[in-house]
Amino acid sequence: MKRLKPNKIDSSSSTDSKKTFSTKTRSHTFKSDTTQTTSSGGVSSSTDSKYLHSKVDACSIDKQSSCSGKTSTLTMLPNIEEIKQEVQKIIDTHSVVVFSKTTCPFSDKAKDLLKSLSVKYETIELDRLDKGSKYQAVLKELTGQSTVPNIFINGRHLGTCDNLLQAHCDNSLRDMLNKMSTSAVFDYDLIVIGGGSGGLAAAKEAAHLGKNVALFDYVEPSPLGSTWGLGGTCVNVGCIPKKLMHRASILGEDLHDAKAFGWELPEKVHHNWEVMKNAIQDHIGSLNWGYRVQLRDKKVNYINAYAVILDKNTIKVSAIKKNKTETKMTAANIIIATGERPRYPDIPGAKEFGITSDDLFSLSYCPGKTLCIGASYVSLECAGFLAGIGLDTTVMVRSILLRGFDQQCSEMIGKYMSKHGVKFLRGCIPTKIEQIEKGQPGRYRVTAVNADGAEVVDEYNTILFAIGRDPCTRGIGLENVGVSLNPNTQRVLVDAGEKTNIANIYAIGDIGDTRPQLTPVAIHAGKLLAKRIFEPSFTTKVDYTNIATTVFTPLEYGCIGYSEEAAIDKFGEENIEVYHSFFMPLEWTVPHREENTCYAKLICNKADHERVIGFHVLGPNAGEITQGYAVALKKGATKEDFDSTIGIHPTCSETFTSMHVTKRSGESAEVTGC
Amino acid sequence: MVRSITVEGYEALKKALTEVQGPVFILFSGSPDDSGVSWCPDCVKADPVIERNLDRAPEDSTLIHCLVGDRTFWKDPNNEFRKDPQFLVKCVPTLLKFGSPQKLEEEQCCKDDLIRMLFEEED
Repeated sequence: MKRLKPNKIDSSSSTDSKKTFSTKTRSHTFKSDTTQTTSSGGVSSSTDSKYLHSKVDACSIDKQSSCSGKTSTLTMLPNIEEIKQEVQKIIDTHSVVVFSKTTCPFSDKAKDLLKSLSVKYETIELDRLDKGSKYQAVLKELTGQSTVPNIFINGRHLGTCDNLLQAHCDNSLRDMLNKMSTSAVFDYDLIVIGGGSGGLAAAKEAAHLGKNVALFDYVEPSPLGSTWGLGGTCVNVGCIPKKLMHRASILGEDLHDAKAFGWELPEKVHHNWEVMKNAIQDHIGSLNWGYRVQLRDKKVNYINAYAVILDKNTIKVSAIKKNKTETKMTAANIIIATGERPRYPDIPGAKEFGITSDDLFSLSYCPGKTLCIGASYVSLECAGFLAGIGLDTTVMVRSILLRGFDQQCSEMIGKYMSKHGVKFLRGCIPTKIEQIEKGQPGRYRVTAVNADGAEVVDEYNTILFAIGRDPCTRGIGLENVGVSLNPNTQRVLVDAGEKTNIANIYAIGDIGDTRPQLTPVAIHAGKLLAKRIFEPSFTTKVDYTNIATTVFTPLEYGCIGYSEEAAIDKFGEENIEVYHSFFMPLEWTVPHREENTCYAKLICNKADHERVIGFHVLGPNAGEITQGYAVALKKGATKEDFDSTIGIHPTCSETFTSMHVTKRSGESAEVTGC
Repeated sequence: MVRSITVEGYEALKKALTEVQGPVFILFSGSPDDSGVSWCPDCVKADPVIERNLDRAPEDSTLIHCLVGDRTFWKDPNNEFRKDPQFLVKCVPTLLKFGSPQKLEEEQCCKDDLIRMLFEEED
């Protein structure tokens, strides 16, 4: 943004003629530049030709090697395994190995560089070795590289002389060589505790940078006994199954609409929970497996066990599966990414008879008449798709819907859900749950008190708690090293670089205090963190502002930046302008769905050129709409930028390019004609 | 000892599946052409790698090496291997554990590490 501003001033102050002039100058400079290089290129052209010459050398080496490779393939077949083992042993037992040829200028160059850095290395001169050509063939198979020099550092393939020079230039060579010293002290460069979105991203990035990484993931079974595979909440019991079940429910709505579009369907259509659940669980299973493949492929040691921190470099491994014997492991760096788990209220019957989102998506039976307790997005989303697939669904809310989200939009979601089969019990707090009948599902009596203190009693088949989530920061040994937590939330206190109060211990994802609890945030944080830890020159941190998100309620809600309340709080009511408009998706017109339901709202900062600081949309595919606008807000788009953007017709999103009704004006934001 | 059998074509595979017991792994690869070598170079590469890791699979398991036919047959997007929800094979070579989401595709079938993981893991 800082760089954008002066540019803007430039373009607005420069006239057309100035622009042409500057372009001309530029092309002129460009021309003279070219002439300079060609004419005065005594030195550079000679380096060029030298470069070319040596390239030719490389080619000839290549040819030579592939020729000898061919002849040797036939003769070496019987003992290829032996040769492979020999080569592997050389690579494994020396920290730096250069396979070279005495006649090769590139090999000399590589060796010279290593000498100049006083790096000890092992040279294998292939042309002085009887088995040289066989070695070369094995190296080609191993690395895809048939030329020399073929360089390995700490058992990893670095590549050619060019790769070595490149690694030297971008400092990664120093890191690779340094690794020799750290790995001598610790088992790993990095241990990641938690295999969710954040942990996986950090582990993969570190491995990509050539680091030795171990990742622990262990799912404590839910009170009901639900457990799952590698990938964390999002993949197993969050975003992925919820969006798919949301899809199932939207399909039901679309089936209803389809009749208006000429599809002849039976009057009664049924939804089969088990078919949906199995299909979704199959998909999750393939994702779990996919992560395992990725980790194995990147040489990350995935350990399905519970890790506890003993001291700032040591992890104790408990509850180990599969007879592995290690009990302690050490690492130079530790990343905690253990995430959160659903909270249960402290009332009789909650843990015995209630379930949470940890159980719902893999429930072996259809939940039947369901009570969702809480007004979190988890609660509303679950209630939304359960009602959408035809179940009798109630939401019990203590006070407001979607705390922290824009309250006008939240209430609109509630209103839409009420109209579409979800019952709401507002101002109610549950007090006990009793079992009436066992079964799958069983029958339970839920007692609650409302605002007047009166008892509210009803029966349900399933009670889903979605009243919040608690960070998994207990029982992982944080107290052993004194990692500071926020005493109120029990989340880990981190600085802008995800560092805890302990220098080599970091925390990412949902357990980070004040961090937005979103998968892509954790992924981004994990990636950047691993890069910052292992690439000293890399300093980019996560920009935690203007992160877009979407709530997948039956009427989807996408938002970026400030809610109206938060904007008023921060800037004052007189300093913000709120533009808003209802809109009617074209596809809703034919089946005569309700008007004035979908809604667009832009919150602008009047003191800053009406920069858009809050974006809100309620309607179909809100997530798909919102993502693109996140880029606009990140680049500091103003209301004028929105107005000067040409819409795509006919879409819902085009509404944002033509919003003129302000809340202040009191004019109607309702849809008027076409 | 892991049993290893080779079948050619979809019907033969379905039949073989009714006859085997214990864990089943299936390797889908391109059938040999006139020269006696598979038309799919990755399949040729994968074969020895899978072979040398076979002892990692459970004792009572079976590896069915299923030849999917010639290139033209395989490239048909509607062939049975691609369509059958039990297989949904997208490419050759594919090595999968039957009845599980565990599968390796193309160059993954040439990696010892990954093949061992597929053979060894029980879940």
